[in-house]
Amino acid sequence: MPHSHLSHLKCSGCDRRYSVQEVHTFCPDCQSPLLASYDLKQVKARVDRDEISRRRKGMWRWHELLPIQNPDNIVFLGEGDTPLLRVPNLGKELGLSNLYVKDESANPTGSFKARGLAAAVSRARELGIEKVIIPTAGNAGGAMAAYAARANIRATIYMPKDTPRANVEESRMAGAQVILIDGLISDAAGMAGEKARAEGWFDLSTFKEPYRAEGKKVMGYELAEAFDWTLPDVIVYPTGGGTGLVGMWKAFAELEELGWLEDTKRPRMVAVQAAGCAPVIKAFHEGAAFCDFWLNAHTLASGLRVPKSFADALILENLRESQGTAVAVRDEDILEAQSQLGRREGIFAAPEGAATLAALRILIENKWIASNERVVLFNTGSGLKYLA
Amino acid sequence: MNKILYIEDNPDNTTLVRRALEARGYTLIHAANGLNGVSAAEAEDVSLILLDINLPDIDGYEVARRIRASHKIQLKSVPIIAVTANALKGDAQRALEAGCDVYMSKPINIRELWARVEAFVPAG
Repeated sequence: MPHSHLSHLKCSGCDRRYSVQEVHTFCPDCQSPLLASYDLKQVKARVDRDEISRRRKGMWRWHELLPIQNPDNIVFLGEGDTPLLRVPNLGKELGLSNLYVKDESANPTGSFKARGLAAAVSRARELGIEKVIIPTAGNAGGAMAAYAARANIRATIYMPKDTPRANVEESRMAGAQVILIDGLISDAAGMAGEKARAEGWFDLSTFKEPYRAEGKKVMGYELAEAFDWTLPDVIVYPTGGGTGLVGMWKAFAELEELGWLEDTKRPRMVAVQAAGCAPVIKAFHEGAAFCDFWLNAHTLASGLRVPKSFADALILENLRESQGTAVAVRDEDILEAQSQLGRREGIFAAPEGAATLAALRILIENKWIASNERVVLFNTGSGLKYLA
Repeated sequence: MNKILYIEDNPDNTTLVRRALEARGYTLIHAANGLNGVSAAEAEDVSLILLDINLPDIDGYEVARRIRASHKIQLKSVPIIAVTANALKGDAQRALEAGCDVYMSKPINIRELWARVEAFVPAG
């Protein structure tokens, strides 16, 4: 029985199909992100959701729906199956009876980036790639370095020089070459792309290869399983590159097609960005199909300092399809929310994760959420990694 | 009129953009460096200029400034879309300050390119 039912790659812009036996980046025709497709009929015929639930915990128990064809290529550090925590103290304070935090800080390297990079590095190994490169605002670098080290793949990382020190040190500790630059992640992306083209490094930038989203989508599977194969009403998600948001929306579609959902009602997705860098929020509310490049991006939440995502069209499509919304929050409100998560629930959230709580307050004020709805906030990483 | 001037030294990008825009009924004029680009803008009646920032002679900012300062009055208002591979710090701001209307970073998403171009010039 195949370990994975990966069938082909499909361009999110023009629908052109690509073989999974070759190395691909993004669509050469229309330069949109590629997404992985699976033979879901075969998956349905060969495995059921209860069998997956019985397997050993971790992201790879969903292997039929992940892209690694030979299990020997999986690079595993314990990623996945992070806790979904009910947060009753916060819920009571906010007047919500069903409030949860999906705490991604429990992943290896302390953030949700582990999921995407586990999938991408595993797939890189499977395809014979020997050196990988990434631009990052922080946690993706540490995650890539860790998985690349375990896979015996060389790693180079471009980071803005004000990236949290923990991200720099963990990357170096894992043997990666770290290049600190004077600029934003978009600047880092330009430099990494140049080095990749000149020296043959494989670029693992967000959505410039198809497999990081596959690791991230498992967050969606885990939510469905945790809610007894239904989906929450609202997911509040910090959005930089948007891999998790797009990945989860893809996961929900796959689960629906598999017939594994008891109720196919999808969540309303909420993209959260910082007021100092809010290209998705601006485009969403203007009704635009793409984001404008955000000038002078600034926020303490380094993971949200993304002036324009390569997958902006997909993010905006998914938000609209979900009848969701997009909310910008101020840095001072992120800090207050971070403190509140700690005081009320003992969660030391990353600023990006805390931003979801700040956004939730706005959504409640705007009466966008009913008091009995099931709401999931995503804490994407550990606050410990941001200590000076 | 739906004539577009593309100032770009990279032949791969030129091929990609030419194919994409011609598929939508636009006519593409190409200049492979900045000075030729300024001359082409002055010699031809174009509806829009797509301008790469990293050019082999003068950079895209200087091209935009010269186009805006041209004696040809139409060039003061012709839409200019800046495109750059590096998205280096301040690139977008500099492009807008030099007289460009919109900034895009490479890789150029073709659907976005169509949308950005059609916002100024209806497809032919």
